Amino acid sequence: MKEDEMIICRCEEVSYEELKTTAAKYKCSARELKLRTRAGMGYCGGRSCRTMVDKIAATSANDRNRTCVSLKYQPPIRPISFKNLGG
Amino acid sequence: MTRRILDHPILGKMEDNNYVSFTFNQKGYKGLENESLAAALLANGIRTLRHHEESGSPRGIYCNIGHCYECRVSVDGQQGIRACLTPVKEGMTVESDGQLPSSKRR
Amino acid sequence: MDNAIIIGAGPAGLTAAVTCAEKGLDVVVIDEYMRAGGRLLGQLYEEPNGNWWNGIKESTKLYKKAVDLGVNFHLNTAVNNIENSNGIWTIYTERETFHTPSLLLATGAAEAPVPVPGWTLPGVMSVGAAQVMTNVHRVKPGERGVIIGVNVLSAAIAMELQLAGVEVASLTLPKTNQMTQDAGKPKEVLDSLLHVSHMAPSPFVRYGSKLMKNDFMKKLGVNFYPKKGVKMWDIPIQLRKAVTKIYGEDEVEGVTLATINADGEVVSGSEEHIPVDFVCIAGGLYPLAELAAVAGCPFYLVEELGGYVPLHNERMESPLEGLYVAGNITGIEGAKVAAAQGRTAGLSMAHHAGMDELDGEIKNSIEWTEQTRDNAHIQFHPEIETGRKKILQQWDAYQSNKKRSVVSNSRGGIT
Repeated sequence: MKEDEMIICRCEEVSYEELKTTAAKYKCSARELKLRTRAGMGYCGGRSCRTMVDKIAATSANDRNRTCVSLKYQPPIRPISFKNLGG
Repeated sequence: MTRRILDHPILGKMEDNNYVSFTFNQKGYKGLENESLAAALLANGIRTLRHHEESGSPRGIYCNIGHCYECRVSVDGQQGIRACLTPVKEGMTVESDGQLPSSKRR
Repeated sequence: MDNAIIIGAGPAGLTAAVTCAEKGLDVVVIDEYMRAGGRLLGQLYEEPNGNWWNGIKESTKLYKKAVDLGVNFHLNTAVNNIENSNGIWTIYTERETFHTPSLLLATGAAEAPVPVPGWTLPGVMSVGAAQVMTNVHRVKPGERGVIIGVNVLSAAIAMELQLAGVEVASLTLPKTNQMTQDAGKPKEVLDSLLHVSHMAPSPFVRYGSKLMKNDFMKKLGVNFYPKKGVKMWDIPIQLRKAVTKIYGEDEVEGVTLATINADGEVVSGSEEHIPVDFVCIAGGLYPLAELAAVAGCPFYLVEELGGYVPLHNERMESPLEGLYVAGNITGIEGAKVAAAQGRTAGLSMAHHAGMDELDGEIKNSIEWTEQTRDNAHIQFHPEIETGRKKILQQWDAYQSNKKRSVVSNSRGGIT
């Protein structure tokens, strides 16, 4: 496996290449990068890959002066089964 | 095959020895009561806990403390249970979640 | 309704629980792990005085103390969401819903990965995962492994693995790329190690002579980049090597290790295969603050603290009424600092519950936290104090902005 093919988001299986290409093409924020590639939108809620998605966006795009959270958090922060949703 | 650390130079001898039986993918194993399912399986030499839903790539424990959800399995019929946070009980039935029959990307 | 609820049963949460209970509050502690202690459970190192810091013992001690004081524990319970309405916090878990006017977030830290091709293979785990397997569950993560990422945490855990009879074939670097950045550059890594050499974990002392610490650093400095690496407790630390690939059919079978130059670039043709049955990924820790984020707490990025941290003051108050933070959610530091912060948070919560005359105790607790930080034996970020100052400045700026908008509001101005 080449470095470009390596998985960054383990849940959604998004590769380094896909993230790099998307970031270069759209010069987008970490949040937009997430929405375009689905990196960080899987089962774990982005806990495993958010620091990496953040860094790729910061390197390739205009996210350099970030001081506020670039990747939003949304509840529920742990998956809930349908059984428990009904209460 | 990985093993238990029964004697540790600082932590001393392991005191727990209450072994219980459980199954993983229809095979029987022994684990220490209330240790994590992930630890019990690893002590039995099992690293692959599931296969990715789309690609089918094999996965095992990654963070071991509930953050990454890589170790999720079905326990007594309930899906998406983190093996690293689930205490082993006598008679537990554990199944690997696997690749789904049809996938969106194909 | 409970007087105080604490999310996270690590050193900060447990200490806060004990403090609140001592002040007579009804306290509930919620944690998704099956045992109380958090990351403290896995810690095991020798202190300069020769005593071993045993995380399991320390956790049990704190947990028992809390239970004896009547603290109500809900372990194995994951929190999904928190909300505030009319000054009352609602905590949603997978089982039940809790309510309290005082809520402490002591959710600790998560591990940041350094990605390597093949890192989704079973047998690859975070270095913290290997620590918990070894010291808490007493199951070997494997017989022989490689640790990717050289930092204070991974060096300490390498020693713990060795102690438990697990062979560490190499403590080495990830290949440099957009995500690993400095963690893949020998010069930068060496520099960061030298920064923390003054409080090198005492196994340096135990496993060699008293002078080993200095000798080790000298070796690193004099023979800069010996290709085979420098051995510490029999573990080769290879700063001139990087793992370019983890290979194996269905599980880890080995890693490809290559020689790198001072800037971290791979020397082509230098690749060799190292057979191992497990691999640890060590990218460091970052504050796990997702609950503070969903609650609407403002954040600030402070690299010295390990990432985005919720705004807070020395009393461990967040800008949101009745919401407190303590421990690694406020910045990556050791368990002793986390516990000291937990005590301050507990006192602030008791104050919020209407207990008077706590100002002196709170002041002392803040001072104690600073002293603990100064004497810290393990420090993850060399510039931690700068980081702490930055967040306090942000707090002040936030508060004066708020005041200004309140003043203009009362004058009928536009905010």
